[in-house]
Amino acid sequence: MALSNEAYRALEDITGDENISAEPVILDSYAWMHANEVQTPDRSGFARRPEAVLLPGSAEEVQAIVKVCNRYRIKCKAFSTGWVGTALASTEGVIILDLRRMNRILEIDEKNMFAVIEPYVAGAQLQAEVMKLGLNCHLIGAGAGCSPLAAATAATGNGADSIFMGSSSETLLGMEFVMPDGTILRTGSLSAGLGWFCGDGPGPSLRGLVRGKLGNMGAFGVFTKCAVKLAPWPGPEKIPVEGTVPAYYATLPDNFKAYTLVLPSWNAYADALYKIYDAEIGYIAHRQFNMLGEDLWPAFFAMYSDPTKSLDDLEDFVNKPEIQELTDEVRHYAFQLVLVGMTLRDIEYQEKVLDKILADTGGHRVAAMSEPNMEQFSALYFLRLPSKHLNYVLAGGKTQYFRPDGTPDFAIEAAPKMIEILKEQQEKGFLIKTGGDSLMSTVTGIGGGGDFHFEQFVAFDRADIESINAAKSCAQAAGQAGFFIVPSMPPALIGLSKDEFQKALARLPQPARFNWQWKIKQMLDPNDVGDSRGYMTIEETPKE
Amino acid sequence: MALQDYRSTMLGCTRCSYCKWIPFAQVKSWRFAKGCPSVDYKNFHTYSAGGRLNAALSLLEGRSGLTDKLQEIVFQCQLCGNCDVTCKVCRYDMEPLETLRELRFKLVEDGQVIPQHRSAINSLIKQDNMVMKSRTTRGNWAEGLKVKNLNKESAEIVFHAGCQFSYDEKLRETARTALTLLINSGVDVGILGQEEHCCGGRAYNMGYNKEFIESARSNIQAWTKAGVKQVITSCSDCYHTFKRLYPAEIGADFEILHTVEFIDRLIKTDKLKLTNNIPMTVTYHDPCHLGRQGEPYTPWSGTTKKVFGQLTKHEPPKPRYNGARGIYDAPRNILKAIPGLHLVEMERIKESAWCCGAGGGVREAYPDFSLWTAGERIEEAESTGAEALITACPWCEKNFLDAINEKNHKIKVFDIVELVQQAI
Repeated sequence: MALSNEAYRALEDITGDENISAEPVILDSYAWMHANEVQTPDRSGFARRPEAVLLPGSAEEVQAIVKVCNRYRIKCKAFSTGWVGTALASTEGVIILDLRRMNRILEIDEKNMFAVIEPYVAGAQLQAEVMKLGLNCHLIGAGAGCSPLAAATAATGNGADSIFMGSSSETLLGMEFVMPDGTILRTGSLSAGLGWFCGDGPGPSLRGLVRGKLGNMGAFGVFTKCAVKLAPWPGPEKIPVEGTVPAYYATLPDNFKAYTLVLPSWNAYADALYKIYDAEIGYIAHRQFNMLGEDLWPAFFAMYSDPTKSLDDLEDFVNKPEIQELTDEVRHYAFQLVLVGMTLRDIEYQEKVLDKILADTGGHRVAAMSEPNMEQFSALYFLRLPSKHLNYVLAGGKTQYFRPDGTPDFAIEAAPKMIEILKEQQEKGFLIKTGGDSLMSTVTGIGGGGDFHFEQFVAFDRADIESINAAKSCAQAAGQAGFFIVPSMPPALIGLSKDEFQKALARLPQPARFNWQWKIKQMLDPNDVGDSRGYMTIEETPKE
Repeated sequence: MALQDYRSTMLGCTRCSYCKWIPFAQVKSWRFAKGCPSVDYKNFHTYSAGGRLNAALSLLEGRSGLTDKLQEIVFQCQLCGNCDVTCKVCRYDMEPLETLRELRFKLVEDGQVIPQHRSAINSLIKQDNMVMKSRTTRGNWAEGLKVKNLNKESAEIVFHAGCQFSYDEKLRETARTALTLLINSGVDVGILGQEEHCCGGRAYNMGYNKEFIESARSNIQAWTKAGVKQVITSCSDCYHTFKRLYPAEIGADFEILHTVEFIDRLIKTDKLKLTNNIPMTVTYHDPCHLGRQGEPYTPWSGTTKKVFGQLTKHEPPKPRYNGARGIYDAPRNILKAIPGLHLVEMERIKESAWCCGAGGGVREAYPDFSLWTAGERIEEAESTGAEALITACPWCEKNFLDAINEKNHKIKVFDIVELVQQAI
């Protein structure tokens, strides 16, 4: 379905002709996304073209566009910093609203610790501004380039700092969004004209329209402004970045400590996480570096922190005796922890608590990762998340399968199987051999110890069909073993049949939520204006 | 190379959008976080490096054709190289800047030329310069200076003025001062004067590879004939062309120096004393072609193999161009050596510097966009409280001056050589 001339003109009248395009070359750039090739039948990185791309400049323009969509039965999908396949059109008749012109920080309330932002504010921008005021903001795991608004409303938003700042759904306060029928809805305290400080009430809360950690996935209206909570930042007004690209680092004051910790077993690993959570220490906690694989990550980061080296040197680094020793030391049961003291006394306290936790669990701080160069590198890496595209560094392709959120015990129970699946697939020779354990994970959110999950990263060569096929096979094997790509993704991504996918959905906690969410969407989006790819439902109760 | 040789870079784009920003580690504010003038001006993703890689692949695969829109997308970009730096923060297998250049070669080969570029190229072919002036007046800038004429004599060093310094009467004093510094330092230096050819770099970036090669050969032939070992220039465009493109495309082997490197050496060896007080607060703009694109060329030949299953390894390691080794310290050393001068830095510096707007044929074809880009940099410079914006490239200087005149900004613009002259 191409847009009718009449519909196009109606949209053009809203944005002006410089902010709308249906040129094929422009549409193709909005059909491209990482991991598309794992889903498309022809292994192309191009998915479906939208019918047009628009660049609205305000909520009012968005509202007018959505009304036109209702009038002409066009679907629309909002897109901000956009680094996820669900930002694309998934069916015919979809227009993309690229929100990059809506890019302002509207307010920073220093006293009440929140910021009001538009969709195209990147995490790094917001963080840089609030740090000047002694505050910090949550950055999702995808890194500093991503939109905090999109993370809070449209996509899942956990991250390395969630232990201190919460996940994005926990940081969301008042929000403004254009509903699928074109109504502008303001939630929480905003709805009563009381400002942005509260996401709930008065009366029944409508915060759930964003579906909590699932996020809205662009399938249900367009979020145009929101307030996000901020956290204390007891550091300098600007991160003191030194070094050169890509080996940047930061020397931070004595109230900052960045560690890699290692435990003797999965059980001890889980125990340490519980204890850290219970003791309320830590500013950032993440099993991050392991995303490059148990065999490669120590060598990779030693190489990466030297600007004169490249991937061509990785094999040499892997073969260095000291790196081999480090690789053996951190295999499987390691994660990174950044302690930030609000005062020097606080950091001393946190260090002592950590000493006790490590003594109780048999863990230790990894000395090689506490060398000044690695600590300074790690500190910057975690505080800003400036290099999260390293997910793709090995060969340009990455997909992942998940152990959904739960307690550490729930998650670690699955780790050996997740590792075994990847290792088996890697042995076939078409994926990067990382050693099987490329499990990345959060540690916990402020919401509690049940906010832990694993993401197993599968690195493949995007330019090699056999490698892409191997990535798909790996996802299929993981899916059949009960592991999951995020539930907002279509079954095709992991190669499951519709029935298998439905069963997988049914195995998630509170599966009825999908049906209820679907009913709500049907009620509030009567013309099905939202591109519903991100709104899964269980059509009938599948039999296990 | 041909466009299809960059297919793996096109396929490798994950749409992370790093190419639109400066490296995230370097972001210091909301205002100055952006890195790509093109996408910031036009907004559609297609105007970013990632979007252009999509466009190139779309063209290669026949999904979209050679259209006016494609032409505008491809050429409305300064090729400033910020995208190349930021892409390579996390990638070792991508060459976005080379791919964007190759896309231009492809369009020009297929007749998709920009009329304003064609005029400049005609000037290059007929008059050996890109600024549509007569060849006969090219050497006028050096009138009155006692310097060897390398058309008749030989010398160790050739000072190459470049098109902008040769013809712009307001800017040429910089070239005269630089050459005088060289002469006074006692080195064996000469010029080609009227017989100097355009370096060809701007033609290369407009997509005219053949014309670039012809310019390069003319210069190399003249230098070789004059026994030249070292080329010194005050133009960053020329510097990049000589240092990176000549050895890569022609195999030339001359030592290439920008004036700032030469002056820095003089200061470090106590051969030049800067004694006059200049009580001024200044900020320094890193020209793209001296900074992130000013890295030395290193020839490579070797083999590739797969390690760890699918990881490509080059043996020996392939040289990496990511902006880490550009000329950043020399100009700052000079400014810090000037008594009374106070250097304050902008937020986007060195490999993260925002472009002046003049490059890639944008000044010629899209003047509004070019001046808007310069205006963004001027606002950043003004935000530091500096009284003057210092640069080391006549193209940057000219574009800044034009933008300042257009918007009545108060900040002054100087080439670094002008300050050195005042400080001697």
